[in-house]
Amino acid sequence: MIKVGIPRALLYYQYYPMWKTFFEELGAEVVISPPTTQIMLSSGSSRVVAETCLPVKVFLGHVLSLVGKCDYIFIPAIRSVKKKVYNCSKFLGLPDMTKAVIPESPSILDIDIDVNKRKRDLYQAIYQLGRHFTWNPFKVRQASIAAWQAHLSYIQLMSSHRLTPPQAIERISGTLEANPKAYSTHSTSTQGVIAIIGHPYLLYDEHVNHRLIHRLERFGYKVLTPEMLTTEGLESATARLVGSAYWTYEGEIVGAGGHYLENGADGVIGIMTFGCGPDSLMMDMVRRHAARLRATAFMSLTVEEHTAEAGVVTRLEAFVDMIQRKRRRQVKVCV
Amino acid sequence: MRLGIPHMGNLYIPFKALFQRLGIDYIIPPVNNQRTLSLGVRYSPEGLCIPFKLTLGNMIEAAELGADTLLMAGGTGICRLGYYANTQEQILHDLGYEVEVVQVGVSERKLFGLLEVIKRLSNNAPWPKIISAFRFGLAKLNALDKIERVVQRVRPVERIKGTANRLFAKAINAIDRADDYDTLKKVQIDYIDQLNQIDKDTQYKPLVVGITGEFYVVLEPFSNLDVESELGKLGVEVRRSTFVSEWAKFSWFLNPLGINEKDRIHKAALPYLKRDIGGDGWESVGEKVLHAKEYDGIIHLAPFTCMPEIVAQNIMPTTKEKIPVLTILCDEQIAKPGMLTRLEAFVDLLERRRRTYNNDRQ
Repeated sequence: MIKVGIPRALLYYQYYPMWKTFFEELGAEVVISPPTTQIMLSSGSSRVVAETCLPVKVFLGHVLSLVGKCDYIFIPAIRSVKKKVYNCSKFLGLPDMTKAVIPESPSILDIDIDVNKRKRDLYQAIYQLGRHFTWNPFKVRQASIAAWQAHLSYIQLMSSHRLTPPQAIERISGTLEANPKAYSTHSTSTQGVIAIIGHPYLLYDEHVNHRLIHRLERFGYKVLTPEMLTTEGLESATARLVGSAYWTYEGEIVGAGGHYLENGADGVIGIMTFGCGPDSLMMDMVRRHAARLRATAFMSLTVEEHTAEAGVVTRLEAFVDMIQRKRRRQVKVCV
Repeated sequence: MRLGIPHMGNLYIPFKALFQRLGIDYIIPPVNNQRTLSLGVRYSPEGLCIPFKLTLGNMIEAAELGADTLLMAGGTGICRLGYYANTQEQILHDLGYEVEVVQVGVSERKLFGLLEVIKRLSNNAPWPKIISAFRFGLAKLNALDKIERVVQRVRPVERIKGTANRLFAKAINAIDRADDYDTLKKVQIDYIDQLNQIDKDTQYKPLVVGITGEFYVVLEPFSNLDVESELGKLGVEVRRSTFVSEWAKFSWFLNPLGINEKDRIHKAALPYLKRDIGGDGWESVGEKVLHAKEYDGIIHLAPFTCMPEIVAQNIMPTTKEKIPVLTILCDEQIAKPGMLTRLEAFVDLLERRRRTYNNDRQ
């Protein structure tokens, strides 16, 4: 059986169920890399120039961990998934960059996704991808329809049950019982609600964000994430803040930030990495909105290889203290 | 209404001619200087690139001088640039300047988009007038770039260093003052003549270095610490394919006809980078592959945190076509002595490489 490797990084969190279904329908076995470790991060960093952003370094670390464990590695070049809305250059250059800096990697399956081109180009691209496994176009068609269904139900599951992507993926793949603790923590929260905004590859990679969600839950807060909002909700909030979206994943930051700043949270934490092109602009938009509203506390955390756990903890504690003080003051005013 | 524009190289001269001919009230902010940079850095989000910071500085300085409408490049499908005009407008509003930032597309509807913006800004001037003014602006742009090409050739071989640069500065002034086609033509011929007559070392065979990288930092000498003149002083001839006049010629007139000067570059890049990644990343890789045989070395200019150029920078060392590449990242921290040291070392390396290469052949 052909083994296809999928790195547990970048777009994995958005599209894993879709990709997995597609390849399994075509009779391949899917191998994913283990959760990020420091060794993976360092080995990824050692391959690229220092200016490269942290998520790409993490991604390359995952690719390195898959070397020798699979026949193909799936790295799509996603230019655009919505008309006139584009992706960061690094997503576009990802297959070629990986090939350049990791020459020993298994051969790379890449696919160009650009909905600004004709529909036929997209179908052809999907067929080209399926050709590695079968000559039969109907089988590819069936696999892609099944994959799309899997993607829709994945998104639905997240927004209806208020799950984070890793939780939803666990539930889909049926390993839920193995780790029931992760869900019980939600109900015990009493202190308030904190929303975190950012790309899924930062929010759910516990090594990169120093277990941020876990820490906030231990402080007694309920944690909300962008995936818990509906796509329409994200889009309308994005439109209120900046007009039409410019980046593919703008909703995760500007949309979610706008929404949670206006209602539903006591505080909003934005997570970005140093040197991230789109985030540096989008987070600034959210910060300006927060400064204008003066209603909800906002903090932006910038992480990179050198971010130390102690620094993150100190800033979180200060943020939480601030929210507590604000709540106490409000209670007094009411009395 | 008073119109202001940010700077990029000598681009303000053609724009000035255009505005004058259409009777638009305009203001040209001071050319990029330390204050522009400090203002830009102070009010920009930290992770942004030097083009954003400098153009924001220009806008603030223009607003201080009374501009209430600002032109800025924009468009979709490129790098972050499409987001800049919006963000800059918000920053200016937060600073208390009631200005409007008008976007000029550089990725789609290039020519007509620009002409429509000009029509609106000129209070609906008749089309013939706009087109004649536009043509005159283009003529100035072409004259500037023609002279600059000669200057690039003269710099490394002139006996008294700096002569060509002094003449170039005078030529820029003269072109700026010229107000009809005849004077412009005369200025162009006159200065090219003077440049050719500079006392040169005809025996000396200069090293040839290609300059590639991101559009703005290649064209704005303030942002790259005038790397071309410094190379000239070291006796190195500079070649680059990035000129505003070239860009205008192709993207305004020839691309719609299906002629693309970059096809050759893209084709060269294909084995290493299969698709356009926005900005000038694809071209950077392609130029390295294409010119590996012609040039002695390549200087790759990129703004710090530039997304497409980082991808290019990662791919460039792995190409089969070997040629030394020096990547210089431009930001507000870059300093002249550091850059000069790197340039000198790079030129030494190229000289040694040329010597051994020639010896091998003999």
